[in-house]
Amino acid sequence: MKLRTFTRKQLGIPYALFLVLFVILPLSVVLYYAFTNEQGQFTMENFFAFFTNTKAVGTLFYSIMIAFVTTLSCLALAYPTAYILAKGMFSHGAVLVMVAVTPMWINFTLRITALKEILNVIEGNLAYYPFLNTVIGMTYDFLPFMILPLYTSILKMDSQLLEAAEDLGASGWEIFWKVMLPLSMPGIVSGVTMVFLPAMTNYVVLDMMYNSTYIMGSLIGSYFNFYDWNNGSMISTILLLMIVLLSWISGRFGDSGSREGGASL
Amino acid sequence: MEEEAIVLRIANSEEYIDEGGWDDDETILLQSGTKILGVHPMVDDFEAWYEETYGEKVRVEYSTYGTNEELYNQMTLGNTFDVVCPSEYMIMKLMEEERLQAFSDSFFDPGEEMNYYIKGVSPYIDSVFRELKMGDEEVRRYGAGYMWGTMGIVYNPDKVPREAASHWSMLLDRAYYKQITMKDSVRDSYFIGLGVLHENELLGQQLIQDPRYNETLSAWMNDTSEQTVARAEQILSDMRKNAYSLETDSGKADMVTGKVVANMQWSGDAVYSLDQAEEDGVELAYAVPEECSNLWFDGWCMMKKGLSEDRRKQNAAEAWINFLSRPDNVVRNMYYIGYTSVIAGGKSNLIYEYAEYCYGAEEGSEDTVEYPMEYFFGAEHENTLVAEKSQLERQLYAQYPPVEVLDRCAVMKCFSDEGNKRISRMWTNIRCFDWTELF
Repeated sequence: MKLRTFTRKQLGIPYALFLVLFVILPLSVVLYYAFTNEQGQFTMENFFAFFTNTKAVGTLFYSIMIAFVTTLSCLALAYPTAYILAKGMFSHGAVLVMVAVTPMWINFTLRITALKEILNVIEGNLAYYPFLNTVIGMTYDFLPFMILPLYTSILKMDSQLLEAAEDLGASGWEIFWKVMLPLSMPGIVSGVTMVFLPAMTNYVVLDMMYNSTYIMGSLIGSYFNFYDWNNGSMISTILLLMIVLLSWISGRFGDSGSREGGASL
Repeated sequence: MEEEAIVLRIANSEEYIDEGGWDDDETILLQSGTKILGVHPMVDDFEAWYEETYGEKVRVEYSTYGTNEELYNQMTLGNTFDVVCPSEYMIMKLMEEERLQAFSDSFFDPGEEMNYYIKGVSPYIDSVFRELKMGDEEVRRYGAGYMWGTMGIVYNPDKVPREAASHWSMLLDRAYYKQITMKDSVRDSYFIGLGVLHENELLGQQLIQDPRYNETLSAWMNDTSEQTVARAEQILSDMRKNAYSLETDSGKADMVTGKVVANMQWSGDAVYSLDQAEEDGVELAYAVPEECSNLWFDGWCMMKKGLSEDRRKQNAAEAWINFLSRPDNVVRNMYYIGYTSVIAGGKSNLIYEYAEYCYGAEEGSEDTVEYPMEYFFGAEHENTLVAEKSQLERQLYAQYPPVEVLDRCAVMKCFSDEGNKRISRMWTNIRCFDWTELF
């Protein structure tokens, strides 16, 4: 076979090229601007400017709030759903999984547009509840990303462990808290990572839901619109650091179980 | 040996040129019998026309951008263009940075047959351009107008009286709480903030009768001093809280579906909204507030870096502008985009006929008015249209506003770096999270 003539190193070249062109290079540009001033000299000023600017910190807080509430509501909706699907309470579980996941194939702006009209009928005037609508929109958008990993990790859970807990006298709640939840932790962690981080920056949903408050994504955009690339890049860098930090934390959480079958997409 | 084709790199706003492909039933049949139909994209037609006229091949590399700032950032990042079409303030900014190539003298020679721009540009627009200067230099030497218009309020006459929509302070009115959209644009919003700030003086007789009215108006509407920005911030912050949303594109649809009763709009988009609503059986109207409005225009200019003193290229660039200014092409673009061209047509009557085609009253119609547009088309040209009376508040009013409206307009120029910083900080303050709006 022809393929044999490629070494592993050679096979890695396409991705390495991609990585350099679209990740490392742009990232270096961002880092360069983040740590220089308008004259191109090295400075840390942009970094401190962010944390001393109450409006910028407020935006960070607002983004975290949106992401946090979205993640919680996704989790609350997805866990029971994943449980029902995984435990085969319906005869055609696989079909139901498809039903839960297929919306992911439709472009999210289309889905939000439809949702907007439904909410408009219910609420009368969407502009009264910008925060609520944003969270609803994001939950709708990100829910499948929470269901899938949870479904996989509950599916792989050994049901004998649950039965054993029951035999040993644990109540329903105790089984859930002490056995099931810890065992599904890898699924929760990967679901949370996939929802929380994108929710912090997905300003398109805010725009579409008539929420005109900036979140991190839109704040960065506004700096670039005013030719202030340095501060804009610094905010991107700070966001990047937070993402690295969060993935590190979640990685540590999920580590113990991931080899056991924690789902990741 | 055949000479290599000239490559012309053109950057323009999205959907800002006729892309052809019209259906046959879209043919515009004008009074004089001229038929106008966009079969091929304008860019292709230009390539063919240029070769036929000048015997040289030209290849257009056409790209688009979303906003002026995006264009500026692209060029700063190293994209090179030959011809671009930014708004007036960006033309001025590029002039200031000495990045624009001045048009050649022959571009301004009305005796030349192919000089459609200088032969056709509206006397009104030309006079505005002559007065507009960056430093000592006239903007018209560096920028040739494309589309122009005003900024105003599109409203639903069933829900909002015209009187209300004729003042910027409508955006602060609690009676329309969460029922009006604003534009997500700092500069335009700042202009409105200033309009509200100076409301009383702007409407007072004292200023209107002042011989230095235009200078004063222009100075006020371009004031970015610390105090003024701080006062505008307060007004705009209240306005934002009163508004339904700050939108870039959704406002038009939201007017039609009735989610909002009024929205701040540029005149060309206003025409589009009104047309769309009509198709859905909703009648909307457009008003330019009495205090003052922003007279804006987008214009073609040539980039020094792109042309790099290549005479052939500059000829092709100037020919591109002239080609777009040829009356039949002007009509095609106006039909496709919905905005108003700066070209009145000169000796050609086509553009006036197109206005008549769109807005002239049908024969036998009773409720008609004479609508004078002498300022735009010039005294020697046919210029007074008989239109349905409702057009006084609708598309015709939006496309060719009455001269009284334009007298109260000011051009918003490019701000100093300091000024830009101040208004950007103001905008961030307005847009960023405020504890009270959490629930």
